[in-house]
Amino acid sequence: MSQVQNSSTSVSTPGNAASSFDLFKHSFMQIWQVVAALAIIYTFFFVMSPPFRSLDTLLSIFGQASILAILACGTTIVLISGGLDLSVGSIFAVVGVAVGIFLAEWGLSPVAAVGLGLLIGAGLGALNGAIQVVTKVPAFIVTLGGLTAYKGVAEILASGRDLSRFPDAFRFLGTGNVTPVIIMFGAAILTGLFLTKTRLGSRAFAIGGNEEVARLSGVPIAKSRIYYYMLGGLLAGLAAVIEVSKLNFAMPARGQSYELYAIAAVVIGGTSLFGGRGGVGKTLLGMLIMQTIIVGLSYMGIGTSYQRIAIGAIIIMAVYWDVWRRSAR
Amino acid sequence: MTNTRQAQPVLEAQGISKHYGGVVALDDVNLTLYEGEVLAVVGDNGAGKSTLIKALTGAIPRTSGVIRFDGQEVQIDSPSDAKAAGIETVYQDLALVNEISITKNVYLGREIVRSDWLGRVFGVLDFKKMDAEIRDLFAKLDVRIADIYRDAQAFSGGQRQAVALSKTVLFGKRIAILDEPTAALGVRESKMAMDLVRSLKDHGLSVIMITHNMEHVLNYCDRVMVLRLGRLVAERDVKDVDGDTLVGLITGATSAEVKA
Repeated sequence: MSQVQNSSTSVSTPGNAASSFDLFKHSFMQIWQVVAALAIIYTFFFVMSPPFRSLDTLLSIFGQASILAILACGTTIVLISGGLDLSVGSIFAVVGVAVGIFLAEWGLSPVAAVGLGLLIGAGLGALNGAIQVVTKVPAFIVTLGGLTAYKGVAEILASGRDLSRFPDAFRFLGTGNVTPVIIMFGAAILTGLFLTKTRLGSRAFAIGGNEEVARLSGVPIAKSRIYYYMLGGLLAGLAAVIEVSKLNFAMPARGQSYELYAIAAVVIGGTSLFGGRGGVGKTLLGMLIMQTIIVGLSYMGIGTSYQRIAIGAIIIMAVYWDVWRRSAR
Repeated sequence: MTNTRQAQPVLEAQGISKHYGGVVALDDVNLTLYEGEVLAVVGDNGAGKSTLIKALTGAIPRTSGVIRFDGQEVQIDSPSDAKAAGIETVYQDLALVNEISITKNVYLGREIVRSDWLGRVFGVLDFKKMDAEIRDLFAKLDVRIADIYRDAQAFSGGQRQAVALSKTVLFGKRIAILDEPTAALGVRESKMAMDLVRSLKDHGLSVIMITHNMEHVLNYCDRVMVLRLGRLVAERDVKDVDGDTLVGLITGATSAEVKA
């Protein structure tokens, strides 16, 4: 941010070798702050708790982060575009139950079950977007409705059913810490490429930054938004698939509050809640910060309720820090 | 510059009206833009200047009115229609998105995708081509932007306006419409921006420019139309008016017949 002045006085350099470096420095600075925060937090627990110091612990932080991080990739897209989806936790529940039914009752192959599950997730996400675009009801309300309604759908679908004991070919997806983490990185890389390299993805920043300018520039706002919500739903569905595979059962109570943890990770990572800025790398870091705190506090014998208080405080601190940095500029 | 009347009209708008409920924001305004001229639209706040250009470019729906382009009637119901017709608009305060780079701003809504399968299937952007075209464009127009990858927010008002005006050269095939291009600029930056406006016609553009600055009208424009309370009250060649007359027409102190 401090390079603002030199850009407005310096003379055009068509070669622009220096400028690419500027760009790197620019984004590096922002993400560097989040990396530093993660390093400090990790070091704190490393010093405070001997059992925390193992490689297994580090792996389990990644493993625990993976499912929520996949879901949060979608949240990142939606928030950058200036949207909000509170219903992804319930989409997660619907997809989990649906995949359970496909496998345990319909006997579908894992590939078909997962494919159909992802389609359902994408469809429910797209529905959220479509309702907003058509009715002009704010995202908060539409997806709050979705949060409740989709949860109801998941409960109806699951009632009276035993959705467990899935085939091994499906179970490998969520077993252990390695496969889910690889899938998490895969989802994050694809989301990152989508946001930075594609037409639709790069427009999310413009729509979230200034929707009216984007509209006047000829960007199809409604259609783009529906796609962003669709991708949010798709990634929630993928997260659900991994979790169902990991737990070896599906039930409608899963996914509760996941949307809030995802939003928390996105915000801790430094993506703007108001749209236009952010990135999926930051979200991964934000999620790792959250999980490190949760795992670290558990190792120190501090219970779940206190962990929640800590996470809540961290969210407020992260946003306060961002606000402070902006005003200090 | 003096014989604009002998040039061909490129844009003719007839009977443009815009009502908001019972409020008449724009009342039966006619506008003719000739090939290669800079036409100023002046008027007090609330005279209907911005409403007129928004109605012309499809940014707001018209209550009534017909638009002809090269003598042919055209349907312009959205900003995209206007762009397709070759009309590029720079809106005041709504020209650039602060949060995205200069490259992405210039190409917003018209991004170039790669010609291979990645471009066709996934819409992967061709940054190489866009960056190269922007550098050529900025060099041609003498626009000095050191770092086209940086967010638009990092640049001065003059630089931002220069970027917005450059877009009209890149995409505006026929007409550039500018809403107060110097509204937020200092003296030196205003002059740079107005020189750039003037140079747009060298690039084949006819220009409609809203302004509050009488000096800019007199020094940079060919013709001027005056709006008052949503009506066209005067239309003059700039060589036939002076600043006092214009101010009189704007405020209503001087009454005038609309010249044909």
